[in-house]
Amino acid sequence: MTTRERLAAVQEWVEVRVGISQLIEMGREKKVPLHRHSFWYYMGGMTLFLFGIQVGTGILLLLYYRPSSGEAFESVQFLMTRVPFGWLIRSIHSWSANLLVFVLFLHMFSAFFLKAFRKPRELTWLTGAVLLALMMGFGFSGYLLPWNTLAFFATQVGTEVAGRVPVVGEFALRLLRGGDQVTGATLTRFYGIHVAILPALTTVILGAHLLFVQKHGMSVPPQVEADAERAGKPLGSYPFLPNFLLRDAIGWCAALGVLAGLAALFPWELGEKADPFASAPAGIRPEWYFGWMFQTLKMLPPHILGFEGEVLGILAITLGFIIWFAVPFLDRTPRPGNRVTRAFAVGGWLALLYMAVATAMVYWPQ
Amino acid sequence: MRTWLFVTFLAMAGASGSVAQDAKTPAAPNAAKQESSCILCHKQLDGPALEPTKHLDDIHMQRGLSCHDCHGGDPTKGGDEDPSAAHDERKGWKEKPTRLQVPLFCARCHGDAAYMKTFNPQIRVDQLSEYRTSVHGQRNAKGDSRTAVCIDCHGVHGIRAIKDPRSKVHPTQVADTCARCHSDPELMARYGLETNQATAYKTSVHARAIYEKGDLSAPTCNDCHGSHGAAPPGVATVAQVCGSCHSREGSLYRETEGKKPGLNLSPAIQCVTCHDNHAVHRPTDEMLGIGSKSVCTNCHGPEDKQFKSAEGMGRAIQGLSARLAEANDMLDRAERAGVEINADRFALRAGQNHLVEARVLVHAFDEERFMAAVHEGMGSAETALTAGERAFSELRRRRMGLTVSLVVIAAVIGGLVLKVREIERDKNA
Amino acid sequence: MNWFLGTSAGAMCASVFYPVIRYLVPPDIPEAQTSQMVAGRDGDLKPNEGKVFAFGGQPALLIRDEDGGYQALSATCTHLNCTVQYRGDLKQIWCACHNGFYDRNGKNISGPPPRPLDSYKVHVVDGDVVVSKS
Repeated sequence: MTTRERLAAVQEWVEVRVGISQLIEMGREKKVPLHRHSFWYYMGGMTLFLFGIQVGTGILLLLYYRPSSGEAFESVQFLMTRVPFGWLIRSIHSWSANLLVFVLFLHMFSAFFLKAFRKPRELTWLTGAVLLALMMGFGFSGYLLPWNTLAFFATQVGTEVAGRVPVVGEFALRLLRGGDQVTGATLTRFYGIHVAILPALTTVILGAHLLFVQKHGMSVPPQVEADAERAGKPLGSYPFLPNFLLRDAIGWCAALGVLAGLAALFPWELGEKADPFASAPAGIRPEWYFGWMFQTLKMLPPHILGFEGEVLGILAITLGFIIWFAVPFLDRTPRPGNRVTRAFAVGGWLALLYMAVATAMVYWPQ
Repeated sequence: MRTWLFVTFLAMAGASGSVAQDAKTPAAPNAAKQESSCILCHKQLDGPALEPTKHLDDIHMQRGLSCHDCHGGDPTKGGDEDPSAAHDERKGWKEKPTRLQVPLFCARCHGDAAYMKTFNPQIRVDQLSEYRTSVHGQRNAKGDSRTAVCIDCHGVHGIRAIKDPRSKVHPTQVADTCARCHSDPELMARYGLETNQATAYKTSVHARAIYEKGDLSAPTCNDCHGSHGAAPPGVATVAQVCGSCHSREGSLYRETEGKKPGLNLSPAIQCVTCHDNHAVHRPTDEMLGIGSKSVCTNCHGPEDKQFKSAEGMGRAIQGLSARLAEANDMLDRAERAGVEINADRFALRAGQNHLVEARVLVHAFDEERFMAAVHEGMGSAETALTAGERAFSELRRRRMGLTVSLVVIAAVIGGLVLKVREIERDKNA
Repeated sequence: MNWFLGTSAGAMCASVFYPVIRYLVPPDIPEAQTSQMVAGRDGDLKPNEGKVFAFGGQPALLIRDEDGGYQALSATCTHLNCTVQYRGDLKQIWCACHNGFYDRNGKNISGPPPRPLDSYKVHVVDGDVVVSKS
């Protein structure tokens, strides 16, 4: 048997059991529509890629991290200074987390404005929205893990906000903190949430999300459909494999380059070890993607019509999220001329504008 | 068990008390007599006569002594509204002592070693003889009733143990207690004394140690002036007084005596010349040199050769301090960026040790010794800085690695772009 | 074309996996030495001798007393953070900066130090002198 024959035999063996060629064939047959908004189709793949990086680097970090108030900071410090390339792994994990949320927002808003949520893709939207919440949970819980001053106080403020929610607030606060105060117990709890609970949930929801995407294929924006109809020309498309995947890979490589650059040029700093008894330092702020909510609560007056301003703010934000989740059910027949559709488009732009301005205000020098 | 111990204590106290009575000292302490006719009657009076009954937590009272143990008289009589039966001169009753008599009045017990031992085997009994060495005591002996006597600092009735924070002689209270007289301009004018000592002291590093850090071992008035023997430290002994805590500076300074005649020419020249007496502030490196905060230039003008030395020493120590701060900052930045620098922190610490050493060596007034310490410190600072440089070159190496990987990534991207074009060209063709 | 793409993709994989593999190889010191470390071998120190070593980035002092027992203390003077040393001739710990003295248990006994030195636990395990906090 020649080498070539031997290789063919192995290929055959795998083929019978796995059926790779079938998958490849499926990929070749799967078509990705080609039009002026096709660019946004890459955002989902990019988010998935960055999530993969998070999983990979996260697992690597687990090898050295220790989730207790006495050792968390020291173990991260050790990891960054003593472990070869530890600084790189941690910096990439931190930077990638931020890029992930950013790309996730792009993905979500593009799906929103291009009406990708319409029938039969309501569940795709819903699972996506749940994934957004999960990713924000990842960000919030992961931020505390290095146990530095900034993270400690940001967590204190963040969980405090949860405690303000009427009725369930106090319970939620104690559940999150693992007690009345942010302590080593909170750290251990957040660690469990970050590395076990959220990943498990994400696996399920992400699987469903991908399944739905696979089942329904890419959504073509109604405007594009209408234009094509008017022109009487069918929409162009290209196969998922290899054309789309190769283009995706270009984006992933670019993301990898950006991450490497950010990690090497702006290594994620460690800060100072948290001291629960120190007074809060100036300039505490949450991660940027919580910034607009943080700023909203900060700007509200203490009392509005006899209600506590902060509570109203929390309720308003919650309501906003509920509406956002329910978009596919509220804007049911998105057609270019539809009044509801237009209202949602305007509302979406206003929400985006508000979030951008409020986030900018967090970082604006006072 | 506890009751038994208590009874034994009372019996012992009683036994020694009867011995003491023979020596014309007050009667034995007896807790059982606390509700005496003295308190019963005086409670119903007004003004100064009521005052003593308010202080049942007085240390003497707590130790089982009562009114008659100091004032004499008969505490069992007088309950029938006949004060003269209680105020019985045959039972040792005396009018309240005058201010001139107070020291002797207290010393009847506090000077009696055998008696005091029954309360506390460690207690001192030399207060009166100490007091007689003080300016207060000497004037008191000469008939000046205005100078401080025991009760001015310790209180009359309601005297508390020194370690009780409410006591007027607790370290946190001493300055205010002294200031009651020494900040009184009218009273001090009689003796030609200034009144700014307490105010000045409150700004000092010593006062901050007591009041802000709660370090009760830091000195207050009596730690330098003495308690009962209160007197200005003899000018020749200032270095001894300060040196009792600042031992290294004190001994370095005393070594200069004889060798450097200039330094002990005038009694005014010692620690206080540069550090002040009451307003002793935290020393700074700027005190050395010829700048605006310099203390050297208080005496040395530009024509002195010491002026040049001061300039050089000032520049040297400020240079070292700045260099160490720079190295520290650099290592901090490197550490935050994720470079291992723990070992280099040790070099930095050595440098900081030399800086502290140099600050101490100023008191030897020996330029050569001082400069040697500064140079050693500079050496450590340079080592730390080099280490910092190394850390940053490590960071630069990381950037090199990044550049290489970016080139590789760019190549992959280029390849992919070409590949996509190739595929799509084939298809279009 | 494919050759170029393959090579560069391979190089990229290498540049990703090289750091990962280096990361997986344990460093010289296997863990962050915050609460416990080996300060030396039993017998390195002669009786009535002391040495300063780095413990969690801070200097610490290990003293061997005459009957072979060990004492471990923080070597940072409580006065102005100088590093203290053991003086066998005086059987005391001495800070050169301001002539401060501590006894062998770390209690400040003369000079300016306001507080005792923190002390650590010492165990001898298989000939290693292990120092631990709390």
